[in-house]
Formats: sequence, structure tokens, C-alpha cells
Amino acid sequence: MANRFQKSVPLMMILPGLALALAIIGYPIFDLAWTSMQDVSRFGKLTGFNGGENYHEVFADPLFWESLWRTGIWTFAVVGGTLAISMPVAMILNDDFHGRGLARVIIMLPWAISLTMTAVVWRWALNGRAGLLNATLMNAGIIDQPVEWLATASTAFVVEILVGILVSIPFTTTILLGGLSSMPQDAYEAAVVDGASGWDQFRHITLPLMKPFINIAIVLNVIYVFNSLPIIWVMTEGGPANGTDILVTYLYKLAFRFGQLGKAAAISLVMFFVLLAFTMLYVALVSRNDRDDAAPEEEIKA
Amino acid sequence: MTGKLKRSLIYWAILSPLMVVILFPFGVMFVTAVRPRAELFTYPPTWGFSEFRWENFSEMWVKTNFGGALLNSLYVSVAATAVALLLSIPAAYAMSRYRFAGKGAYRTFLLMTQMMSPIVLVLGLFRLMMSLGLVNDLNSLVLTYAAFNMAFTIWMLQSYFNSIPRDLEEAAWMDGASHLTSLVRIFLPLAVPAMVVTAIFTFINSWNEFVLALTMMRSSEDFTLPVQIYAQVAGRYQVEWHHVMAATVLATVPVAIVFSWLQRYLIRGMALGAVK
Repeated sequence: MANRFQKSVPLMMILPGLALALAIIGYPIFDLAWTSMQDVSRFGKLTGFNGGENYHEVFADPLFWESLWRTGIWTFAVVGGTLAISMPVAMILNDDFHGRGLARVIIMLPWAISLTMTAVVWRWALNGRAGLLNATLMNAGIIDQPVEWLATASTAFVVEILVGILVSIPFTTTILLGGLSSMPQDAYEAAVVDGASGWDQFRHITLPLMKPFINIAIVLNVIYVFNSLPIIWVMTEGGPANGTDILVTYLYKLAFRFGQLGKAAAISLVMFFVLLAFTMLYVALVSRNDRDDAAPEEEIKA
Repeated sequence: MTGKLKRSLIYWAILSPLMVVILFPFGVMFVTAVRPRAELFTYPPTWGFSEFRWENFSEMWVKTNFGGALLNSLYVSVAATAVALLLSIPAAYAMSRYRFAGKGAYRTFLLMTQMMSPIVLVLGLFRLMMSLGLVNDLNSLVLTYAAFNMAFTIWMLQSYFNSIPRDLEEAAWMDGASHLTSLVRIFLPLAVPAMVVTAIFTFINSWNEFVLALTMMRSSEDFTLPVQIYAQVAGRYQVEWHHVMAATVLATVPVAIVFSWLQRYLIRGMALGAVK
């Protein structure tokens, strides 16, 4: 009896948290799956089973495909750009130099600010009439007329990608720094003895050893970026004329502006499965990295 | 020494373009927050302005109902952090100290929930809160923030708990203390720093959250700060940008300072997890 009690202690300890997670994160998935197969009124009333009609509607909707395509570009460009910048930045920050502490604080700053606030500030900075980006570029003689950055979809989307890269750098750099700080120094010393150049060292020692960290950085960033609403929502709300819509902004509009709840539920579910696939990839990567009980790396990104 | 000096100069030169872009929005924020209203839309646009108008901040406080939103944000973030920690501490302790059936499955479940993003579930969550009568109730945010942060808090706490030696507790059991006594008297006091750091990160996460707050809070007196500031910008013909920027300064700078100060713990925690 005492033994049975002992055995149930850890379960009792995880149970309350598990219950909350199941209610808040588990239940909505089932609700979405259920809703996505129903006719839904504007006010959220389920009015009857309609099979796969919502899904048919979604897949027949050109805006869905456009948003999907743009989500691909957005994710690829932001994650790629972030990685290309974060790798050299992490290598510099891992080296010893004057003012490194200050440099780290500045590079990490965007992480400390909520995406919403960053996006609000950029929306003003990019203002076509009085934005200070125009002021700066005009002072520098790069442009001679103010540019309406957010008024056309193509420039707005490029600017949003750049802001996306900027806010993803701190988190990515942190993961890469974690990897760099665990590099074995003797490998480099041996390489120097053998006369390897800096580039050789990077290609043949740093990159291979960093691969697990780079993989994790890619997968986590893909997950976050693919799901990120605030930047695009605050800067352009997916406009002008749906020209900067990605799946999450389109989904949000369908659900909370246009009241097309069945269709929105169907898109949510499609996104859920994409997310699930990437999450499983992440779980596989993490369990390969640490087979024992070590905790995986954390992040905080709002 | 000269080698290091030369390296430092080269490194700062390489990093400087990125730093300019990072610091640019902060400059925009401050310069706009203190400028007189009449100088918002000068042509050609310029960084300069005639006087520091600190009254912008007090005007903004009244006009945007900053105080109300601040209280909402504080309530939600503190309560969500408390709930998340209260549920995570025993779970992290169990993960760190016990072997039990289903531990591996629970670990995978935590990883999965950590990756689930509110936006994918937002419609389902909204319907759930509707049926519970919690739409327009700040407690809906408390529950959801706690749930979405819990995987993070459990990982973070567990990795610190692992570093607290087991011997201390075992010695107490030898002396006849019950498991509960050793937990409360010996273990928890040692774990306080870990709990504080974890709590602060959860607080910041909740403080910064946007999508759920935008969705669940339908009337303006319930808005949290990010939504309140967004509401000053979105769908308005005339935006009082000097007030908006003053509000962003007040809402972000204290949090940014705390974050910068604590960020080495985050890096350490991540490095620990990743290296091990």
C-alpha cells in the first residue's frame, strides 16, 4: 500500500499542470477539428455536419494559395537571413574583445521588446510622409523623395521580412553561442599546427561540430516564424489588398473579421498538422542530441 | 594586447551596421515621444525638433488610459506567472527526482505543447472561453498564458533542480525528516534563485503577448498594454504618434532593462541544456 502510494507521488505532482495543458492546449485542437467539419453561422453556432465542404472551400480559394505561397517565402527568407547574419555574429561574440559585454547587450535588445511594440515603432518609422527612415535616407542622400514603404505590398513585404530577421537574430545567436562555447579548443590548436587557414578551420571544424545547433536553430525558427502574427498584423494587417497576407493573418481575418468560422477552423487544422510535423522533427533532433535526461534549450519569444 | 585592440576594432566595425539598425527604432521612439505635436509631420522629415516636451508623457497617460491598461497587464502577468510556477514546481521536481512510468511520454508532451502556438489554436481557444463565459475576462488570459508557458517553466526549473545535489535531501531523510519536510525546508530554499529567474521570464512573456489578448479582450477597458497601444494605431484616421511612442517607451524600457540584466541566465540555461 505504501509502495503504491510512493509510486503515485510523481504522477500527483505532474497531474495539475497536465490537466491545465490538456484543457487549454489539447481541447481546442479537438474543437477545431470538430468545427472544421460543420456549417458554422457568423456567431459561432454550429448548424450541422457538412463533411469536407470547408476544406473544399479553402483549397478552392486563391487567397489561401497566395497566402500559403507567401508564408513559404516569409519563412524561408526570415529564417535564411537570420541564420546568415547570426552565424558570424555568434562567432564574433564568442571571441574575446574589448566591449564584448556591451555588444552582447545591444545585439540581444530586440528580444527584450514585444513584437507588437517593435512593429508599432517600425510602422511609424516607415511612415511615408514623416517617417524617420525617410529622414535618415534623405539626409544621407540615398533618396531625394520620401518613400511610401508600406503603401505597396511588394516593398511592405520586403520591409516586414527585414524586421522579422532583426527580431529573430538574438534568439538564434544565443543558440549558436551555446554551441560555440562548447567547441573543443584542442581541435583548433591541432589545425593551426597543421597549417589550416581560418576558412579551413571554419569549414572543417566549426561547421560540422555546429551542425546539431544549426539544425535546432533552423527548426525552432521555422516554427516561430511560420506562426508569427504581430509584425505583419501591426504593420499592414496583411494589406494593401491582401498583398502581404500570410496564412496566420488570413486565418485571423477569416475568423474574427469576416466570421467565416468553418473555413478558419479548416485552415487552423491544416496549420496544426504542418506545425506538428515540424515539432516532431524538433523532438527527434533534441532526443538525438541528448539521449539522457538533460533539458533541451529554452526560448522566450512573445 | 595590440592584437586584441586591433581585433576589437575590426569586430566593432563589422557589428556596427547591425547595431545601428537595432538601435534605430529606439532612437525613433525617444525622439518622437518628446517632440511637440506640431513637429510630427514636418516636411522634409527630420530627426531634429525644437524642444523637449516631457508633458507628452502625462498627456498620453490620461488620453490613452495608460494606467488602466498597465494595471490589466500587471494583473494578468503576475497571476499567470503565479499559476504557471505553482503548477510547474511540483512537475519539475518530479521530473528531476523521480523515475516513473510515462516520463518519456510526458517529456515529449511538454516539447509538443511548447511548440504549439496560440495563433493556430486561437479560434478553438476563443470558442472554449466563450463557452466558459470568460471572454472579456482577464482570467481567460491568466489561464492561457499559464498553460502556454508551462513547458518552458518546467524545463527551466528542472534543469536547475538537477544541479541541486540530492545528498542534502537524503541526509535530511536519514535524520528522520519526511519527504515533505525536506522538500519545504531544504530543497525549496535552495531553488529560490531558479524560481525567481523563471518567474521573471514568464512574466515578460505574458507582458508581451499580443494575439490572445487581442482576441479575448473585446472592450477597451480590459485591454492589456500591447493591445491598448495597437488600438491607438490601428484603423484610426489620425494617429497621435507622439503619444503612441511615449506609451511604447514606458511599456518597453523597464522590461528591456530587466531582460538585459537577466539574459545571461537565459543563455546559461540554454547552453546547459544544449551542451549536455
